Amino acid sequence: MFVLKNAWKTVIRNKGRNILIILIVAIIAAAATVGLAIRNAADNARETGLASTSVTATIGVDRSKLMEQAKSSSSSSSSSSSSSSSDSKPDFDAMREAMENSSLTLADYEKYAKASSVNVGTYYSESTGVSGTDSFQPVESTTSNSANSGSSSSSSSSSSSGSSSSGSEGSTQQDPGRGGPGGDQGGMQGMTSGDFTLTGFSSDKAVAAAKNGTFTMTSGKVFGYGTDDNGKVIISKALADFNDLKVGDTITVTNPNDTSKTYKLTIGGIYENTTSSNTDSAGPMGGTSQDADNAIYTSVSTLKSLGLDSTTTAADDDDDTSTQLSYTYVLDNADDYETFASDVKKAGLDDTHTVQSSDVENYEASLVPLDNLAKFALTLLVVVLVVGAVVLIVLNLFNIRERKYEVGVLTAIGVNKVKVAAQFAIELLIVTMCGIALGVAGGAAASVPVSNQLLASQVSAQQTEAASQQAQFGRGADMGGGAPGQTSQQGESSGSNDSSGSSNGSGSTGANAAPNEPGGMRGGMSRAVDYVSSINATVNFKVIGQLILIGLGLTLVSALVGIIFVMRYEPLQILADRS
Amino acid sequence: MTNATIANEPSAAASAAENPAATIPALRLDRVSYSYTKGGKKVLDGRSHDFQPGMVPALTGPSGAGKTTLLSRLSGLAVPTEGRVLYHGNDLAKTDRYRYRSHDIGVIFQSFNLLPALTVAENIILSMDASGKTFDRPKTQIAKELIAKVRLRPEYADERILHLSGGEQQRVAIARALSYDPSIILADEPTGNLDLGTQNDIMAIFRSLAHDEGRCVIIVTHSPEVAAQSDEVYELAKLL
Repeated sequence: MFVLKNAWKTVIRNKGRNILIILIVAIIAAAATVGLAIRNAADNARETGLASTSVTATIGVDRSKLMEQAKSSSSSSSSSSSSSSSDSKPDFDAMREAMENSSLTLADYEKYAKASSVNVGTYYSESTGVSGTDSFQPVESTTSNSANSGSSSSSSSSSSSGSSSSGSEGSTQQDPGRGGPGGDQGGMQGMTSGDFTLTGFSSDKAVAAAKNGTFTMTSGKVFGYGTDDNGKVIISKALADFNDLKVGDTITVTNPNDTSKTYKLTIGGIYENTTSSNTDSAGPMGGTSQDADNAIYTSVSTLKSLGLDSTTTAADDDDDTSTQLSYTYVLDNADDYETFASDVKKAGLDDTHTVQSSDVENYEASLVPLDNLAKFALTLLVVVLVVGAVVLIVLNLFNIRERKYEVGVLTAIGVNKVKVAAQFAIELLIVTMCGIALGVAGGAAASVPVSNQLLASQVSAQQTEAASQQAQFGRGADMGGGAPGQTSQQGESSGSNDSSGSSNGSGSTGANAAPNEPGGMRGGMSRAVDYVSSINATVNFKVIGQLILIGLGLTLVSALVGIIFVMRYEPLQILADRS
Repeated sequence: MTNATIANEPSAAASAAENPAATIPALRLDRVSYSYTKGGKKVLDGRSHDFQPGMVPALTGPSGAGKTTLLSRLSGLAVPTEGRVLYHGNDLAKTDRYRYRSHDIGVIFQSFNLLPALTVAENIILSMDASGKTFDRPKTQIAKELIAKVRLRPEYADERILHLSGGEQQRVAIARALSYDPSIILADEPTGNLDLGTQNDIMAIFRSLAHDEGRCVIIVTHSPEVAAQSDEVYELAKLL
């Protein structure tokens, strides 16, 4: 009680000096508050940003790893297999084989979905190429392909597949290109030949995530997914107009590699893409099947009944048809995604495959400025606290040296040294707590505008960097960090790959993102990341608690120095020095 | 109340004999020796003496005789290297000397040791707070009474120590030493900075404290006039 009373009196008595200390502490505390608030907000943004929105994930193949494995396996058995190619040439066959074998089947995907401990929704789509007949022809400007299709398609495939076969040798469908834009669509850039892309969807969700983006029905309605609706398809309005078809009509398409195999389909509806499809970007290289207007949508059940589903086409060895499977997992939130990824690894997914989520990757890309800001905030915090501790200790030291005489008098009149030290510590505590209170108030008021200002400068720095890369490369360069989702492979071979992505029926690789995709990114080259440009860096009780702890720690450290000084003093010595 | 104005051993013994309570000494020196370094030159060598309550003993001696050293042992600021200082029979070296200093002895330092930033009343109340004793009246009231007792004007209560003269500071130091009602009062050259009139004034206060209130008022001085006004003289000879 004596200690407290005396401490309080002394604090009141030395107003000038204490106000100075309060100001210094307040400035330190304000800077620390802003720093802590930013870190807190960044953590929150990271944790909660995807916590409530569902996340889609895919399983992709890591090609470089795959090739390494193929190389090592081929070199181990080099004497037998690579007789001619020797070491100078890569063993293409082995690599292609490895890539083909690496593709997962529908059963594999379903197995992994079941293996996860979290709630996993799934949908998938399967795409295959089909050719037209005389009565049903694709939308196109030139007649080159119609001649092909007219004279049936063993040759037509050669022209249109020319562009893609080089890329799609084997089944490359599972590689979304390291989480490229719309990587969840399982990258169908290497598409099969044919005049049309026939895509089977497993559910409405799959349709909604269609590569060509969302659409609206102009007439009829979307097929069902049961066997009852087998054979029902929906076609684009352009295709319907081109062939003068309406709902209820029957169309016939053929297997692109074998025109004797025909498939009868009933038009259940006509749709129009709401996002403008990039029909132009198909170019001369892309086949007509790459044209968004030449996409025919149906259910997976229909594909199965036609024998065109991925399981069937993978099972037969003739290789005349190949169906690309795009399997997507839907997780409730980002945490579930992490759990799912590890569960799948446990369930036996080998190293050459990775679980990826463009949602998560895009989100993380959007967090880059925020991360930079958080790093900056940490540096600020450390510097401020170190400087603060030093200043506080020095001030306290001077203070106590000055009050040496007081220590002598107090101990001489019988005040225990421990009490004197405690009094000094309490004085310091009162002063620093006032400073912290002021600083927290000031920092709380300043943290939101300051942090948003800092974030804005980080965002613009990020954008400038992206822009300079854009200027240098003529496209977004994948320098890492900036936009990890972006792959040069995807952007580079724009003509064929990009267009194939778009025509294959679902969205986000195209120049225009499907708006329904969470965090949907503008595709390919001119992709711009929507950086998180504002954070809610409000000061909450957690921050205040942390600050008070830090303040207590600093006070105790500097008080300890003072206490050591006090303890060293002998009252007699002080008083003797004085007189 | 004795009228012994000439300080000598027989008169001290006589007054002790008159007062039965004085048979237990307030402070006793028991073969006290002190040297700054171990085995070095001794500043005090085997001193023994009893200080009786109700008396004003004077400690005298030439410079270097160990007056101040003995005063620090008596006041409990330091302990002797050999021998004991007993307060009511308890060895000070073995008791809580903080408590002894704050409770049982009031020291009037030669340099007063008042806190310059505090007012007169605050300095007095600080010692009362430090003693941890409870008082029957408000502390400010006691402080005011003490200020009047040492014959300072009441308006000095709220004056800073810095603004006071040496004599006034000395009176404040005395008031402070009296504030928590200690049984022993130890004064180091209490009249050093004072003119003769004030000196007599102060000595009168000390005598009254001893004789009227039964305290032991030990005065360290090299002034023969002051020694002459005390009840007994304990002379320290310079060690050769």
